[in-house]
Amino acid sequence: MYSKSVWQIITVKERHIQILGIVLGAFYAIFIAWLYLVEPKSIEEVPAKAQESIENVTTKTQIAIGTYEIDRAKFNEGLAAFRQDNFIVARDNFEKSDPERRDAQTQFYIAYSFYRQGFGRVSNDDALFKQGLEQMNRVIALDKNFKSGDADLQLKTPIELKNEFEEGLKVTATDFNPFKVLRERK
Amino acid sequence: MEMTDAETRRRADAQTNQLPVIDGELVEDSDSADAALIHSENKKPKTKNQKYEAERRADNGQTRYIFLPLIFLTVALLGGLRLSAEDDAFLFLKPALVCLIYATFLLILFFRAGLLRLDGWFSESFPTLKNVANATVLLALFFASAQIFNSLLPERGLPFWIFAFCFFWTLWNNLFVEFQGKRLLQSLGSVFALAFVAKYLILSRLTAPASASWWRGLLENPTQEALTWFLDLPRFSAGTGYIQFFAVILYLLGLYLTPATTKK
Repeated sequence: MYSKSVWQIITVKERHIQILGIVLGAFYAIFIAWLYLVEPKSIEEVPAKAQESIENVTTKTQIAIGTYEIDRAKFNEGLAAFRQDNFIVARDNFEKSDPERRDAQTQFYIAYSFYRQGFGRVSNDDALFKQGLEQMNRVIALDKNFKSGDADLQLKTPIELKNEFEEGLKVTATDFNPFKVLRERK
Repeated sequence: MEMTDAETRRRADAQTNQLPVIDGELVEDSDSADAALIHSENKKPKTKNQKYEAERRADNGQTRYIFLPLIFLTVALLGGLRLSAEDDAFLFLKPALVCLIYATFLLILFFRAGLLRLDGWFSESFPTLKNVANATVLLALFFASAQIFNSLLPERGLPFWIFAFCFFWTLWNNLFVEFQGKRLLQSLGSVFALAFVAKYLILSRLTAPASASWWRGLLENPTQEALTWFLDLPRFSAGTGYIQFFAVILYLLGLYLTPATTKK
């Protein structure tokens, strides 16, 4: 009698063992798949990765059920930095406010920050303009009829801003016009 | 002549007094105790097979449905885990497609050799829950098999193709051989042990340790550095070998514990 295992003493039915096995196996398999997906570098990193995953899942759920909203506080911080011509900080805040890149207005501001940062009286920064152009395509994909209500921006629509990027990237005879240095940033 | 009642009683007493006296102790009637003993002796399993059958009937499936999936899934977790040579950081390597193909071969081999019996794991006569639980165990076995190949195959380069070819050759040959379950286990154990020794003892010794610069490495360990470059050997921490050793042992233990059938 003493050699009997705990399971036999408390007479757990095979059916219950099977259910327990399926549930435990499923949870363990999901945990392993998650580990291989997020690839934590150490055991200490596991809780941080878990939190990140939970936030990610929450955002995805919000998108699925149509309740996704950008982080207004981060957006306002980004806007303040944008107005102070601190475009790197502005972009960082805009990206944090819209991690899923689904808000046309936030994405438009990110594209605009590339324009303003890359604008030069003599020559534009091609690398920033290319990034801006890619960003602009994202805005058009989100909302092709988007129009900004910000009075501070002279280019209100994605098409105008896109045209500015494309013209800025082209090398034409007008680029050698000395009066070009007098043009203003929009 | 009729006797009175008193006369009859007196004669009976006289007869009783004439009976011889026998000294002795009272003992229990042993017939029923003997019968019970004989019955229980008959019920006791006499041969090894009977003992095994009795154990199987008493088993409520905790080994099969709890421990086996946990063992196999732990192998699936450890099989792709490596430790970086620079800072011992975890590296999770997903299995190559060839590992999944070999795992499929291996499962076919298990069924062919009788290590697993298809009708003993899936049957219309089983309750759905049992079929699902059995599928969970076999799925865990498949993932563990894929990851054990992931563990034993070198990660890239020429050694990967050589090892992959050797495994393919062995599995392909075994597919057409009449095997017994026990022999198959022994064969697998030896093949895995050989692959483990070749990868984690021989190839790891040929791999140059991580150094600050390529030039410095070349000056300090010219042969190892050249072999690492030529064979495209990845650099892992020594802890990787220990982890994979436990993964292989756990996998073989899991196979040993896996019954051929779940029928009682």
